[in-house]
Amino acid sequence: MIVCVAVVGHQNNPLYIQSFTEADDALKLHHVVHCSLDVVDERVNNPKKSGPMLNETYLGLLYPTENYKVYGYLTNTKVKFILVTTDLDVKDADVRNFFRRFHAAYVDAVSNPFHVPGKKITSRTFAERVSTIVKAFGLSSAG
Amino acid sequence: MDEYPEELRTPPVALVSLVGCPDHHPTISAHLHSQQPPINVLALPDFSKVPVVLAKKVKDSVGGDPPGGILKRDWLLKHRTKVPSLVAALFSSLDVSGDPAQWLQVCSDLENLKAAIRPRNVKLVVVVVLQSASADDINEDRMIALRKRAEVDLKYLLIYTPDDASELKQSLERLGSAFSELASTYYREEGRRIRTKVEKKSFSYPELHIRYCFKVAIYAEFQRDWIEALRFYEEAYRILREIIGTSTRLPPIQRLVEIKSVAEYLQFKISTLLLHGGKVGEAVQWFYQHNVAYKRVVGAPEAPYLHWEWMSRQFLVFAELLETSSATTQSISSLASSGADRTLTEWEFRPAYYYQLAATYLKKKQSSLDISLSMSENAAETDSSVDSVVPSSYVGQFAQSLEQGDELSMQPLTDEDYIQYTLVEGKRFQDSYEIIALLKKSYESYCNLKAQRMGSICGLKMAKEYFSLNDYTNAKPHFEGIVTLYRREGWVTLLWEVLGYLRECSRKLGAGKSFIEYSLEMAALPVPPGINITFLGLMESGPSGPPCLQQKECIHKEVLYLIGKDSGDGSSVEESTNLRLTEENPLHLEIDPVSPLRTVLLASVAFHEQMIKPGASTFVTLSLLSQLPLSVEIDQIDLQFNQTDCNFTIINEERSSSTTTTYAAEQNQRTETASSLMLTANRWLRLTYDIKSEQSGKLECALVVVKLGPHFTILCRAESPASMDDLPLWKFEDRVETYPTKDPSLALTGQKATQVEEPEPQVDLTLGAMGPALVGESFMVPVTVSAKGHSVYSGELKINLVDVKGGGLFSPRETEASSLDSHHVELLGIAGAEWEDESQSGSDGNINRIQHSFALVSVPSIKNGETWSCKLEIKWHRPKPIMLFVSLGYSSQENESASQIIHIHKSLQIEGKTAVTINHRVMLPFRRDPLLLSRVKPSNEADQLISLPFRESNVLIVSARNCTEVPLQVESLSIETDVDSGSASTSCCIKPGTGTGSPGPALLVAGEELKKVFTVVPEVDSSPLSLGTVCLRWRRDSGSHDLSTCTIITTKQRLPDVNVEVSPLILSLECPPYAVLGDPFTYFVKIQNKTPLLQEVKFSLADSQSFVMSGSHNGTISVLPRSDHILSYKLVPLSSGTQQLPKFALTSVRYSAGFQPSAAASTIFVFPSKPHFKGANDGEKQLETVAAI
Repeated sequence: MIVCVAVVGHQNNPLYIQSFTEADDALKLHHVVHCSLDVVDERVNNPKKSGPMLNETYLGLLYPTENYKVYGYLTNTKVKFILVTTDLDVKDADVRNFFRRFHAAYVDAVSNPFHVPGKKITSRTFAERVSTIVKAFGLSSAG
Repeated sequence: MDEYPEELRTPPVALVSLVGCPDHHPTISAHLHSQQPPINVLALPDFSKVPVVLAKKVKDSVGGDPPGGILKRDWLLKHRTKVPSLVAALFSSLDVSGDPAQWLQVCSDLENLKAAIRPRNVKLVVVVVLQSASADDINEDRMIALRKRAEVDLKYLLIYTPDDASELKQSLERLGSAFSELASTYYREEGRRIRTKVEKKSFSYPELHIRYCFKVAIYAEFQRDWIEALRFYEEAYRILREIIGTSTRLPPIQRLVEIKSVAEYLQFKISTLLLHGGKVGEAVQWFYQHNVAYKRVVGAPEAPYLHWEWMSRQFLVFAELLETSSATTQSISSLASSGADRTLTEWEFRPAYYYQLAATYLKKKQSSLDISLSMSENAAETDSSVDSVVPSSYVGQFAQSLEQGDELSMQPLTDEDYIQYTLVEGKRFQDSYEIIALLKKSYESYCNLKAQRMGSICGLKMAKEYFSLNDYTNAKPHFEGIVTLYRREGWVTLLWEVLGYLRECSRKLGAGKSFIEYSLEMAALPVPPGINITFLGLMESGPSGPPCLQQKECIHKEVLYLIGKDSGDGSSVEESTNLRLTEENPLHLEIDPVSPLRTVLLASVAFHEQMIKPGASTFVTLSLLSQLPLSVEIDQIDLQFNQTDCNFTIINEERSSSTTTTYAAEQNQRTETASSLMLTANRWLRLTYDIKSEQSGKLECALVVVKLGPHFTILCRAESPASMDDLPLWKFEDRVETYPTKDPSLALTGQKATQVEEPEPQVDLTLGAMGPALVGESFMVPVTVSAKGHSVYSGELKINLVDVKGGGLFSPRETEASSLDSHHVELLGIAGAEWEDESQSGSDGNINRIQHSFALVSVPSIKNGETWSCKLEIKWHRPKPIMLFVSLGYSSQENESASQIIHIHKSLQIEGKTAVTINHRVMLPFRRDPLLLSRVKPSNEADQLISLPFRESNVLIVSARNCTEVPLQVESLSIETDVDSGSASTSCCIKPGTGTGSPGPALLVAGEELKKVFTVVPEVDSSPLSLGTVCLRWRRDSGSHDLSTCTIITTKQRLPDVNVEVSPLILSLECPPYAVLGDPFTYFVKIQNKTPLLQEVKFSLADSQSFVMSGSHNGTISVLPRSDHILSYKLVPLSSGTQQLPKFALTSVRYSAGFQPSAAASTIFVFPSKPHFKGANDGEKQLETVAAI
């Protein structure tokens, strides 16, 4: 199950962060997302020599914490997407697919002429779309 | 890791035992210990000890009762320290070959030894120590007998020679190799024996299976067979995992504890082996599996803390292993990709990650232990029974030791007792300090990796731990370290939490200032609106509650209460009343552009004009912005400028008290009142006032001091709206942004500073200069200062010469050539004021400082209406236009310090021009043509020197042209011979030509040319010959009067050098100056041979229509050496006017040089009749002279 998704801007500032848990661990998830930025930095600064990671937006598993797994995605405009899940066994393809759809939603949200680039995303439509994608992720991995 | 027994932590070392001859034990032990691999020695002084050591306990019946546990606690230790792999029996050679009694003793010792070691299958080595006395004769029979009795191979019957050094070394080596071989055999055999049990599955309980696998692995380790060891450890681990659910041997909690303890041992061994083999990736992978396998095996709900403690230990041990393993130094990125079925991430190779998780689990343990402790409040009563709980003989088991008489007997524990025991143990243990230590390690490690966010979460947890220990002095710096990062990256929720802790720390420490600062910062944080519900009722959101608007308002109210603005109900702030500001304890907060409190109060000051006149008033707008959730009423605002006269105070009318006004009045400061100074969230409070400054220069607003309540002021550094940064944190928010000023253009360009202009100068500065300057002359530029309205005090003139085209006024290359002439244009001096007394203006009078292009002159005091002037003397060395800048700075009042300096600037462009150009021309004498051989030869050199014939008089015409618009007076034009060429006086004779040279000064108007003729006779045949320098003395013609003011300037130009040649032949044409129609005259052609050779020449004379001619037309003649030959023709002119004489041509055979006189040379004027000249004598003479030249 996805417990948290986040969009992080250039200055590593949160642009959108939403947790999807009943439990009261939103703050903890914020910390998890924030810490994962270190891994993103490390990945970006020391790209692996071998081919497949080159020019790849999907960063893969960033790090496992005691209960969560954190996945990352870096757009061409250096906006980071972070996904936190509790599933222990996640298919890479599922995550990739999730990020692709999430990216599309993000692009639509920031293409809004009333959105100021660099500011937090407050669009309700975006929030709804994200929660649909998040739910769909749970279903596809279950099925 | 340190809590593990040593035998588990270190790789096993083989153990051998030495019996007998105790003198030699130390030498042998030391040698064996230093071997590779080392061997430990159990030294027994005499044979009687052996059976005690090797005594074997009566074993559990294998088939019958279930085993008491999985691993025996002391089994490994036993094999490390007690049970040797072989016993080496040392016999003295004296005893062996001694009398029968001694021999008998040897035999009986050996028999006893054999009996003792047989049940354990321990190997035997017999060593005969060769004593020096009997070095030669060892009884061979006795040796054979000894071997037979001992039943050992020949190679295990060794002779040890301690006396001879080289022998000793050899025998030690022999001993060493035999021991290690036998020890290895022993462990192999033992291992094989147990392995057969495993393979045959000859055990009835899985516990035994695990035990056997463990033993096989240990024996394999004794043999240094790591792969085998790893295989069996893994096997044991696998079986162990399987029995978790199935085993029923012990009460459930203790059973799980035992299994986990064994799993921990196995995991430790496996990780160690993998890491030492350099397989970091596999080790990490294995640990991950281990973690996954046991993570959820929490066990009974009564004692979850046992599980968390165990988990924490797993991570801690693995972290320590990883840290000590040298393999971690290799690059992480290469490892990360090597993961087999699951890609490992970077952090999983870092010890910091495991330390952090160890701390996390320890924290979990701590909290669940607290819960368990609180549930069993009656634990204290049963403490006494708990005291007797001790670890039992099996790994991971505990038992109660009961004293029954003299003996201790072990009683199994019930789970309840066990939990009691662990609770008591847990209470004793200070988990928090352990957690802090772990986090500190992790924090430092992450900081070294530059993973600041990871580091900061460790720091945060560490600080929270200190906080929970009520250690606020330690907690605060840690929180402060983190808060910067969250501020910078705008993680409001995280920032809120940390600030909440900081606020609480400040409250507890009684630090009023920081408490108010943190409170204000929190109150001004941009809290996301949607987050309230999710966060409400969170226990982990810190002491300040969830980040929501209500909470912000609460905090704000608390601050208002503390600063005395709001009486408040005080219910939430009771505990902080001691922080309330009082008269003795006022507070000043400073906010600068980098302060996090900018969100609390942002002051922007904009002048409406960028330049103002002194004394004229302009508007200044002060805009204040706050993001505090509640409206704040400001009592008073002070604006402070760099010019203190401009400072003023704005007082809230509603709140104005008599005290403030009187204070301002006392200070003689301007006071304004405003009807309302209400600061609302995210709305600019704009205040515009007029301002006036008398003092020129910069007027800048430095501070805005806002007074809130009686004892609280905020000193806010003013910012210009044009260069104002966005508000931190709020810049990411989607909020309504407005301009600080009503006029949007002012918001974009407004500055907090303005320039106050200088007062208008009431003094004239004139630069009078007429026309262009001429190169060479000292050009005078009169500068006049006339005071019209102001008196001039302490005036100062700055004079500056600047090249119009840019670049310097001199070129460095020419500086080297001559230092005098280095500047193209030079300021020579300044002639002082005429009106001054001679005594007063000495040579050091006015000119303070003069450089070539810059001067500073002090101007004396000038009263209103008076004038003062001086003259700048500028000299041009090259024609160049320059810009002359003159600026006067003065003060209008006598008191220097009080008044301001007023400046006037004037500039003038002056052209520098060359006055005269000098040309020259050298000509040969008329109708006299020397043959110059250098002219005959074709030459392509363009700049060839002019050749002059030797000892012939040549004509030099020098012309000087005035190329300015100014008329010039030429004083003289002469040629000076060069002084430097020593023989110049005799080398050439230059005389001014007669007639044309004008003796007196001549006036040259613009464009006019002055010519002068000189005769040049080269006296010496030397090339090149210097002709000298033309020297023209002139002055500017300033009208008839005042000749003295213009100095005479000498312009010099060097004439180019000439070649002097001796000409072999000279041809002269001679004819009368004029002819008369029909009147015959003679035309001579004179050929002079100057050589000592006979010269053959060919000549020809062409016919001419205008003349009738007699004489030979052509022919060849020989001219004798150094003699002349004259050809004479009689000519009768036939027509009048200017006529061409018959063309004469001559060719020198020797030099192959032809000659033809020029058209001008062979022209003659024919009068129609004999002319009658007036004053004929004079004219005739003059004409003749011309012809002669």
